[in-house]
Amino acid sequence: MTRMTIPIGPQHPALKEPLSFLLTVEGEYVIDSSLRLGYVHRGLERLCQERTYVQNVHVLERVCGICSHVHSTAYCQGVEALTELEIPPRALYLRTLLCELERIHSHMLWLGVLAELIGFTTIFMYTWRDREIVLDIMEEFSGGRVAHAVNLVGGVRVDVEQEHARSILTRLDDLAQQVDTFLDMIQHERTFQARTRNVGHLSVEQVHRYCVVGPVARASGVDVDMRRDAPYAAYDQLDFQVITAQQGDVWARTMVRSLETIESLHICRQLLQNLPSGDLTVRAPRRVPAGEVVSRAEAPRGEVIYYIRSDGSDKPARIKIRTPTLTTLITLPDQLRGVNTADVPTVLAGVDLCIACADR
Amino acid sequence: MSISGNAIELLSAKVVSALFKLLVFPGFGFLFVCALAFQWIDRQVAARLQGRVGPPWFQPLADLIKLMAKEDVLPSEANEAICAALPIVSLAAVLTAGLYVPIGAHSVAPFEGDLIVTLFLLSIPTLAYFLAGWVSVSVFSVVGGNRSLLQYFSYEVPFLMALSGPAILHGSWSISHIAESQAIWTVLVQPLGFLLALIGLIGKLKRSPFDIPKAKSEIGAGPLTEFSGRKLMMWQLTMHTSTVVGIFLLVNMFLGGDGNGVTALTSFAFSVKALGILLLLSVSSVLYARLRIDQLANLGWQVLAPLALLQLLVTTWIGTG
Amino acid sequence: MMDINAVVEALRQLYPNQDIKPRTVPVADTFINLPPDCVHAATALLMDRFDVYHLSTITGQDTDHGIELLYHFWDGRGLTLRTRLPRAERAKGEPGEAPVIATLTDLIPGAAFYEREIWEMLGVDFQGHPNLSLFLLPEDWDDAPPLLAQTPGAAVSEDEADCSSPNDNQNEKLEDQESKQ
Repeated sequence: MTRMTIPIGPQHPALKEPLSFLLTVEGEYVIDSSLRLGYVHRGLERLCQERTYVQNVHVLERVCGICSHVHSTAYCQGVEALTELEIPPRALYLRTLLCELERIHSHMLWLGVLAELIGFTTIFMYTWRDREIVLDIMEEFSGGRVAHAVNLVGGVRVDVEQEHARSILTRLDDLAQQVDTFLDMIQHERTFQARTRNVGHLSVEQVHRYCVVGPVARASGVDVDMRRDAPYAAYDQLDFQVITAQQGDVWARTMVRSLETIESLHICRQLLQNLPSGDLTVRAPRRVPAGEVVSRAEAPRGEVIYYIRSDGSDKPARIKIRTPTLTTLITLPDQLRGVNTADVPTVLAGVDLCIACADR
Repeated sequence: MSISGNAIELLSAKVVSALFKLLVFPGFGFLFVCALAFQWIDRQVAARLQGRVGPPWFQPLADLIKLMAKEDVLPSEANEAICAALPIVSLAAVLTAGLYVPIGAHSVAPFEGDLIVTLFLLSIPTLAYFLAGWVSVSVFSVVGGNRSLLQYFSYEVPFLMALSGPAILHGSWSISHIAESQAIWTVLVQPLGFLLALIGLIGKLKRSPFDIPKAKSEIGAGPLTEFSGRKLMMWQLTMHTSTVVGIFLLVNMFLGGDGNGVTALTSFAFSVKALGILLLLSVSSVLYARLRIDQLANLGWQVLAPLALLQLLVTTWIGTG
Repeated sequence: MMDINAVVEALRQLYPNQDIKPRTVPVADTFINLPPDCVHAATALLMDRFDVYHLSTITGQDTDHGIELLYHFWDGRGLTLRTRLPRAERAKGEPGEAPVIATLTDLIPGAAFYEREIWEMLGVDFQGHPNLSLFLLPEDWDDAPPLLAQTPGAAVSEDEADCSSPNDNQNEKLEDQESKQ
């Protein structure tokens, strides 16, 4: 059997962002793989040390396009903890609303990408069409489909009126019906299951060893979710379930993310129906008192952790970001070993890579 | 003098008529127009099913014209002569196969045994496709070429067996003869054969869910990754024409061909049947996820081939019984 | 959920000569300082006795006290082990010895990427790490590690460096909104 080296990336139809994989393939099976990141590395951690706290809100939103709001949320929370600010409840609810809308949009994007990579273009077209409902809501709310610029240190910048809240609720109900249809479709479509079951398996032991987070960990049965374990924003006042599965393959991850989308729609409804009245922001000082803070949030891909150290000036001394994609990237050589080459894009799609997040 | 004058007139009339049949209708010109039209219909149906608008009517023609204007480059290690010859040979083979498949009541050069010749000619593009991948040297092309050969073995046997069914039933190996002698449509007598022939056609045309050799997300464009410009245009024309010839073949073998009726109604009936099969192909291309090559091989040898054998046995038993 | 007091007690027993003083840090974290050669054993203790296996990340930073490494653990609440390494002395343009610490990858394979990034960004040598190669920086990077304080940042013009005016206006606008409400 001849051994071949197949390069996947940096440019490849299976990858949405640049990443370099070298697969060593024997016949139709992968024996080994090596990984190289850094194609989208922008040195944001160093950049943040030379910008003020206010400017950094906007810099850190651009770490990633799909999870931009959760980055600025984790950062603002951290700085607010350092300055000991009491954020008004309405602001917390609106922050949480956008976090959940972002989760919905990210999971639907992911489902479309997975379907396209296994050749099921129809589901890709449908999910991305219905994702437009969420993007339209986010645009009406914040002014931007992708970079929302809603968070400020001290609260949020935009508000939702009664009328608008009702219209959002109606559209989210429509979206819930569509998501139920997709769930039904993929649960009964045999070719979809044939391509995703028993592909890209991760055991509980591997999840612990590699410190994996997010839907990938939950699909292997590890029950961890920062929204419940370290409640931030308005999550301590909300009622929601953490979805886990047991099989640990791409099919389990599909089910976890799909059911999480439905859970997020449920959370959005609670937020809009119980929106407290009040201010949107509190005044934040320009100079943050010296100190350090560790802030965690649950991005669509898992736990995102921010460590911020302040030296009393108006620029942070250090901002360290660890995004969830780094934890899943390290499992890829293990997941790809012994996999059929036709399943490589499926495995890559199953872990929902966000390389911009990983590279920063 | 007058006799030779008449002979020359007769000869030139025949030559002109033969050239017309070859180049215009039902020959190359008609096949070319059908290829573009069927491609457009296919893309429109798939688009509407996916909630999209679909391309305008001139899109397939525009794509071919655009490709002609593109630069034609090959990797330095690829064999230029072979890479130039393969698309031409494939296109020639498919167009020649089209000469024997009757369209309506017209066929350019029918003869006894032309079914076998047609099937042979339709296999040449598949083998050329594999060779194209092999000769292009790049990793994606070679892997795609290997897969296309594996796929060929998986669907070709059931396809050939399914197409032999009508031949045995009507006791002839000429497509025109089989088309004419269908008092009842073959599909009603051999429904399993029709289904297998349809599935085999999807595999032959490398349409979804059997578009494994050119699985965009895994291996670039498969064997044709390194082709561009005029060569790629000829490859695409070959694929489009294969679709047309394949559909017409199925209409003649299973759906009664031209229906043996009045001429105007004949063409209409033929078109409706052809478009019906095209619709089946388009719809099936959006309904499923792409299969893996080993899953296709399993399907081909464990399900399709035994069923095709069963159909053949039943046909022979009915024939002799 | 780990019991912080029990952890602190166990660490004090392991290192009776060290002054283990836990400090609560927002949002839900506790910081404990340890010397560099104690980190590996402390991690092993956390894993064996307290079932703490999730390492969120390792932060590296260049401070006045030298190069600080923070190992952020999570088990229902956060626990961070802080250690300080002396900076590499660079005299007259010659690189000094790189700061060294034992790797955690034999206990927690998931630490591999975090340690690799710190090696790349701060020049810390993790002894025993399976693959200390460039991670995020391009192959032709030959400058000093980017996150060291003495490595200059990107040159910014005077106007760009002046961060005062737009933000002052923003805060004033917020004040106006609040006073109107």
